[in-house]
Amino acid sequence: MQQALSYTNWPPTTTSSVVEVPKLVAENAVVVFARSGCCMCHVVKLLLHGHGVNPTIFDVDEQNEATVTGELSKIIGTGEANTSCMPQFPAVFVGGKLFGGLEEIMAAHISGELVPVLRKARALWL
Amino acid sequence: MNSTSTQFVPSRRMGLCEPMPQVGMWNDYKENNCLHTSLPVLEVDSRFDNQSEDTSHGTVGPSNKYDQEDSKPVDKVMRRLAQNREAARKCRLRKKAYVQQLENSKLRLMQLEQELERARHQGSYIGGGLDTGQLGYSGTTNPGIATFEMEYGHWVEEQNKKIADLRNALYSDIGDVELGMFVDGGMRHYFDLFAMKATAARADVFYLMSGTWKTSAEHFLSWIGGFRPSELLKVLMPHLEPLTEQRRLELSNLRQSCQQAEDALSQGLEKLHQILSETVADGQLGEGNYLPQISAAMEKLEDMVRFVGQADYLRQETLLQISRNLTTRQTARGLLALGEYFQRLRALSSLWASRPRGSA
Repeated sequence: MQQALSYTNWPPTTTSSVVEVPKLVAENAVVVFARSGCCMCHVVKLLLHGHGVNPTIFDVDEQNEATVTGELSKIIGTGEANTSCMPQFPAVFVGGKLFGGLEEIMAAHISGELVPVLRKARALWL
Repeated sequence: MNSTSTQFVPSRRMGLCEPMPQVGMWNDYKENNCLHTSLPVLEVDSRFDNQSEDTSHGTVGPSNKYDQEDSKPVDKVMRRLAQNREAARKCRLRKKAYVQQLENSKLRLMQLEQELERARHQGSYIGGGLDTGQLGYSGTTNPGIATFEMEYGHWVEEQNKKIADLRNALYSDIGDVELGMFVDGGMRHYFDLFAMKATAARADVFYLMSGTWKTSAEHFLSWIGGFRPSELLKVLMPHLEPLTEQRRLELSNLRQSCQQAEDALSQGLEKLHQILSETVADGQLGEGNYLPQISAAMEKLEDMVRFVGQADYLRQETLLQISRNLTTRQTARGLLALGEYFQRLRALSSLWASRPRGSA
C-alpha cells in the first residue's frame, strides 16, 4: 500500500471533493483534513513527516466545509446533525478511522503509541 | 541584671506575663512561654537570651531573689539550669527559622517591587499611536489578566509550600503510598497552572506570550510561554538516578520525542508569524482603510491561543509520561528537582534585579 506516499496535497474541486471523502479515507493510511493555511495542520504534518509518513492533506475551505464535515461525521459514525461530535480541524484519519486532532497526535507521539498505530495502518515500513 | 529589670515584657505580648509571679516560679514560667510562643519570637528570644546568658554564666542576676533557692537541693537548681539551656536552644532555633522566613519574604518583596515597576512602565507606553486601549500589555486594564496575575501569585506561594512539604516527605520515613499523595498533589498543581494559563490566553494571549507575569530569568529560558519539556528532562535526569539501562533509554527517547514535538510547534508558530504579517500587510498600505486586513488578522490570532494550549498540553503529557515509567520515589525526586530549579530561577531574577548598578 504505497498510497500514503503517492501524493501530498489534494486540491479539491467543489463537487467531486465531497464524493471523494470516504474513498480518500478508506484508501489512504493517513489523511489529514485541515483548513487552508492552518498552522496547526502544519504542525501535524511535521510530526508525521518526522516518523517518515507522508500524509494525504485535504484542504477544507469555506465552500466545502459543511459538506466535508457532514461526510466525516458519517464516517465517524456519530449520525448527521450531531454538532457536539462534529470533527474539529485538523482531523487526522489513520487506517480509515478518526485518530483525533493535534492533541491526540501529540499525546500518542509522546507516549510512544503513535508508531505502532502507524505501522498497523501500513503507513510505515520498518 | 536582676529579674525585675528583665520584666520588660511588653504587655501587648499575649498578656501572659503581665503580673509577674513570684520569682521563684520565674524559670518555669519562662519555659512555658518559650514553648508556647510562635510569632514574636524575637522579643521572646531577646528576653530569654538575656536570661539564659545570665543563668548559664551562673551570674548573680536574680541572685538576691533566689536566696530562697540556696536552701533547696542543688539538683533542683541543676535541673532548672538544664531546662533553661534547652529552652534557650529551642528559642535560638526558632529565631533562626524566623530569620530565614524573613529573608525569603525579602526576596519575594523584591520580586513584587520589580513586577510593579514593570507594570508601571508598560502602563506608560499605552496611548502613543493607535488608541485601542489594548495596545501593549494591558494587564492592568483587563480583568481576566488581573485575575490571572493574582492567581499566579498564589500559585507560586502554594508551590513553595508544596516543594517544602515534598522535601520533608522525601527525607522522612513515610511510605510510598503517602509519598504518592505528595507527588499527585505536585503534578496536579502544575496542571492547575496550565488551566489558569488557558483562561488567561483567551483573555489576552499576547500578555501570556510576553512572559511579563514570570520572573525575568524564567522568561528568558522559556519556550512558548513556559518550560521546554526536553530541557526539563535534561535538568531532571541526574536526580532520577539510579536508573536501569532500559529506563535511561526510555527517558532518552522521551527527550527526543519532546524535541521533535517542540520543533514542530515552533515551526508552526513561525508559519503563523509569517501568515499574520502577510495578512496585516495585504492590500494597499497608506490608504488609510485597513479594516478588512485587521479583521482577517483577528482570525489568525485565534490560532495563537491554540498554540499556547498545545505547548502546555505537551508539558502536561511529558510530565505524565515521566511519572508513568518511574517509581513514586523517583518521581518525587524529579518533582522536587523541578520545583527547586524554578525557585532558583526566581531567586536569580530577584538578585539580578537588585544588584548594585555601576556608576554612570
